[in-house]
Amino acid sequence: MALLEVRDLSVTYSPRDADTVRAVDGVSFEVHDGEFVGLLGESGCGKSTLGNAVLRLLDKPAAITGGTITFDGKDITSTSEDDLRSLRWVDLSTVFQSSMNSLNPVITIRSQFADTFEAHDNDVDVDDRAGELLEMVSLDRSVLGRFPHELSGGMKQRVALALALALEPRFVLLDEPTTGLDVVVQRDILDRLRVLQARLGFAVLFISHDLGTVMELADRVMVMYAGELVEDQPAAEMVTRHLHPYSAGLLGSYADPRDEIVEVEFIPGRPPDLSQSHAGCLFQPRCPVAVDRCRTVHPDLLPAGRGQVRCLLVEESVGDRAVLDKAAALRHRDQVFAAGPSALADADPVLVVEGISKIYRTRRGLTTTVTTAVDDVSFALRPGQVTALVGQSGSGKTTIARMLTGVERPTAGSIRFKDAPVDHLRRRALRKYRRHVQLVFQDPFSALNPTRTVAYALSRPLRNHLGLSGAEARARAGELLETVGLSPAAQYLDKLPHQLSGGQRQRVVIARALAPEPEVVIADEPISMLDVSIRAEIIALLDALVRDRGIAMLYITHDLLSARLLADEVMVLNEGVMVERGPTLQVIGEAKDPYTRKLLAAIPRPGASGTPVVARGDTEMGAESA
Amino acid sequence: MLYFLRRTGFFVATLWAAVTLNFLIPRLQPGDPAQALLARLQGNTQAVNPAQLAAIRKMLGTHDGNLLSQYWDYLGAVVHGQFGVSYSYYPYSVTAMIATALPWTLILVGVTQIASFAIGTLLGAWAAYRRNSRVDSVITLGSTFVGTLPFFWIGLLLIFVFAITLNWFPDGGGYGGGSSPSWTWLFFSDAFQHSVLPALALLITGPVGWIIGMRNNMVQTLGEDYARLARAKGLPRRRIALTYGARIAILPNVTGFAIALGGLLGGTVLVETIFNYPGLGRLLLEAVSNKDYPLMQALFLFTTIGVLIANFLADVTYGFLDPRVRRAEAT
Amino acid sequence: MTILWRNSKCRAGMIMLAAFILIAVFAAVIAPYGPRVSDFGASEGPSGAHWLGTTARGEDVFSQLVYGARTSLIVGLVAGVLSTLIAMAVGLTAGYLRGVVDEVLSFFINLGLVVPVLPLMVVLAGYAPVKGLGLIIVVITVTGWAYGARIKRAQIITLRTRDYITAAKFAGDSTARIIAFEIVPNMISLIVVGFMGAALGAIGAEAGLAFLGLGDPQTVSWGTMLNQASLGGALTTGQWAWLVAPGLVLALLITSFTLMNFGIDALSNPHLRED
Repeated sequence: MALLEVRDLSVTYSPRDADTVRAVDGVSFEVHDGEFVGLLGESGCGKSTLGNAVLRLLDKPAAITGGTITFDGKDITSTSEDDLRSLRWVDLSTVFQSSMNSLNPVITIRSQFADTFEAHDNDVDVDDRAGELLEMVSLDRSVLGRFPHELSGGMKQRVALALALALEPRFVLLDEPTTGLDVVVQRDILDRLRVLQARLGFAVLFISHDLGTVMELADRVMVMYAGELVEDQPAAEMVTRHLHPYSAGLLGSYADPRDEIVEVEFIPGRPPDLSQSHAGCLFQPRCPVAVDRCRTVHPDLLPAGRGQVRCLLVEESVGDRAVLDKAAALRHRDQVFAAGPSALADADPVLVVEGISKIYRTRRGLTTTVTTAVDDVSFALRPGQVTALVGQSGSGKTTIARMLTGVERPTAGSIRFKDAPVDHLRRRALRKYRRHVQLVFQDPFSALNPTRTVAYALSRPLRNHLGLSGAEARARAGELLETVGLSPAAQYLDKLPHQLSGGQRQRVVIARALAPEPEVVIADEPISMLDVSIRAEIIALLDALVRDRGIAMLYITHDLLSARLLADEVMVLNEGVMVERGPTLQVIGEAKDPYTRKLLAAIPRPGASGTPVVARGDTEMGAESA
Repeated sequence: MLYFLRRTGFFVATLWAAVTLNFLIPRLQPGDPAQALLARLQGNTQAVNPAQLAAIRKMLGTHDGNLLSQYWDYLGAVVHGQFGVSYSYYPYSVTAMIATALPWTLILVGVTQIASFAIGTLLGAWAAYRRNSRVDSVITLGSTFVGTLPFFWIGLLLIFVFAITLNWFPDGGGYGGGSSPSWTWLFFSDAFQHSVLPALALLITGPVGWIIGMRNNMVQTLGEDYARLARAKGLPRRRIALTYGARIAILPNVTGFAIALGGLLGGTVLVETIFNYPGLGRLLLEAVSNKDYPLMQALFLFTTIGVLIANFLADVTYGFLDPRVRRAEAT
Repeated sequence: MTILWRNSKCRAGMIMLAAFILIAVFAAVIAPYGPRVSDFGASEGPSGAHWLGTTARGEDVFSQLVYGARTSLIVGLVAGVLSTLIAMAVGLTAGYLRGVVDEVLSFFINLGLVVPVLPLMVVLAGYAPVKGLGLIIVVITVTGWAYGARIKRAQIITLRTRDYITAAKFAGDSTARIIAFEIVPNMISLIVVGFMGAALGAIGAEAGLAFLGLGDPQTVSWGTMLNQASLGGALTTGQWAWLVAPGLVLALLITSFTLMNFGIDALSNPHLRED
């Protein structure tokens, strides 16, 4: 008998002033004792709602509207809160998505352990046991006396993990437990988790959008799309022999940057609106192999391969991979983006940075702390080329961007734009300079003013920098939208940002950056907030713009895969110091610096935990490139 | 530590600003303020007696000195607690008048403010704990409705109903005509009887702000991840509501406490006037209608300083209650 | 506007306020007598001729009630607008410029918050050489802007770090344009709520000051009515209508504002602004 058994579970959101949404629809799965199951899906697919339902933590307006949850043979679907208490944490514990806010800010870490023990009449010595737990997650015992705000994000998440294991539960639900943390820290925590899981033998349901990590850690992977499970396979199978076209699309968006040929693909379109009812397969509008019947017949989750799949075509072809081979053949060429050869041409640089440093002095009471954010960094940006600046948060990446754009001044060193110094520009001169140096932001939701239309956002740089009239600016704005793939432009010009999807917003942000015809574009993590399946789309767009328009781009990222795909040159920054710099293939393929190697080692290797995946090139991607 | 230093700094600075404001207000009018005041006093029916003249001169400083030396003299007088002589209660000093009225207001405001805070916070927490239940809507809608009632009007109605129509309580004053302030049981029970209606007038609307503030804060804290995690940990409901909900939600109310005190002191002017209650508020209004400027000035200064001290104490308490501000407020 | 209208609480508030405005505008038509006409018997109870009775001076209470709406609305509107303007100027400057300017302005905002407002009003009114509605409005404005300024400062501090502000700078927009076109539209609901709060405070303060006898004795307002009812012996003669009516309409006016506030939050939320 399975430890956790979910049957036909449905969760519906019924907000008072909006349509009801079926966030989770007829989901069934099992988790066995000691099993590590991954639940993979993009934002909005219902994976966190499913997690909360399993933990019985749903709050209004969400409620379980069908199905059962059975834990250890006991039906807990509608058990009262009081009866659940004896089960909570003793058997089922969890680590939440945002570690930042999951600890009570006004009591010490020790108190948060103490009340857990107390609530379950666990008569242990709190300092002893909690200290032991903290050491288990590589934290010092002294952390017990601290308040949450005194800990870093990584430390808080370790505390949350230690807390989850406090009563030796049989099942732990991890909901994006490392999202938002630095890659190296993430790696550290996840490695620790895997070791502890093997040692203590608890079962895990690991919810994440991070494909590489899920594939590497989990024994079995479930893929969720639009509130439904679409595929459920052992992890090794999922890597090499997944059957559902959506799984194929997701996997296609991931690649190992160290591979010789790196290609990623994206899934066009966006997920369906779950407040409407849909007759056929929910993935059909985005599916490259959909047939007419997919439009009208809703497929069931049926056994296929070594697991289950929800696809009419797989159903008909009785589990063989003919469907996917067909999918690969049918896929449009422009849905795939391959890393081009790095072409370090000798074009004259437009922006030259020589030995810049930035030192911050912060005075706090009587003591002055000196922080060196950037230490003696030099590089040059050339037209038609992408230079990637790779590093963790706090490495000084953003400070460099701020100095390049004249927001801050370097403490030492010089920045020259076409032989004119730009590090001490003010007012008018700065405004003129910014015509040539534009920004693409990380968060498309904060980069556009929610009260201003697309046409307004695009017309401002056109009118200010190029001196166009209102009508001219509007016409040009339309052309720009077409350039970034928002076509027909007339459909988008008068929209407000909230009427656009994340990907569409990011395209508008890119169009705005292009508007004044800049020679340099600084893109600060432009894809890190986007869904996995559309990232490659934006990368492809940026790549095309740089090559076609001869723009010099500084691409700031923490993600080596996107650097590998886009950049001609890679620079690695660690604590303000540039530790490695060179052509992309060279830096990623033959990293010399220990820090670069650490970054590379943090990249997950799907399938590594299961049986070694021999036929790596046998994926549909391999088939594609062959 | 930094937090407490900053708060102390703010306290000292506001204290100075209040003292200065008090110095500037009478000098805002054009011309020699003493002359202007005299002219206005002479417009009144009674003649200006030398005592009043002396009192005004004393309050405003010698008018031949420049503003700076006047300010210096004024600061000296404030530091030494010399606020001059009241001329509506001549020959009593202003300080003596304030000392007589202070205990009345202190007790009335102190008791009603603390009771309002306690009642309001408890009701607000209860409403948040039973969110979306009938209890919640009764508390929320009821307090919203009560909040719209002008409380001096409530005071009038209270007198009309309980003092005049039903004759349960006296209709005004601090104590009956037969007794005088003394440390006797008789006097205290008499004073208590007299203070029931004024206190009620303040207590009916007093808790409204706390109820709504506490409910909204606590609904928010109970929706935070840490409260959900506490639920997942299997903590008893009540424990979650207290340690993870109310404990954090009460923090903004603590800072609000001092600001509300300023408002309540304003309210006492109205309530004490309606009930003819011998506190600072009524004294202030009397001083204003009698054009007793020294008394008026000193009263305003005292009230402001009182609020500033309460504000400072609330800040310090906040620092102890919220571990985040003690270290984090560097920027 | 339609979104406000669709919210039932907000709609009720708007209807109530509209009724008050109509009454104030057409006071001369609605009121049977002039507010200061004292040709009637003193301290009469409610009757057919005088629905709410007469005052101790022999004036018609109902007519005074109708004209009183004018005073309250004018004070609310003018003092509300003035203190909102001051609050915006101070709050926006402090929040956008930060640094020393912010430190100084914040100090004044905090000072304005802790100074007891009504005693300050009483003192200012006591010193004023002339009494009149204008003075009351000035006093209320001077003492009532701090709260709004604090909220606007806090809001602008979160708004100014948004990426779209940086983008506007890179698009070459001037600081004034950024504040007017990028920041202020995102603060509309806050400004409206702030204005309503200020207007509400002003209406209450005017009633309080007038009740204390510090208002303009020539102006008919609900506060002066209560003051005269209290002095004129309404309590002892049992003229409940003279006593109850002004407070009740004041409460109704405040209720209409409170109800409208419920709906305004939706205004700033662009998700609700579609179609």
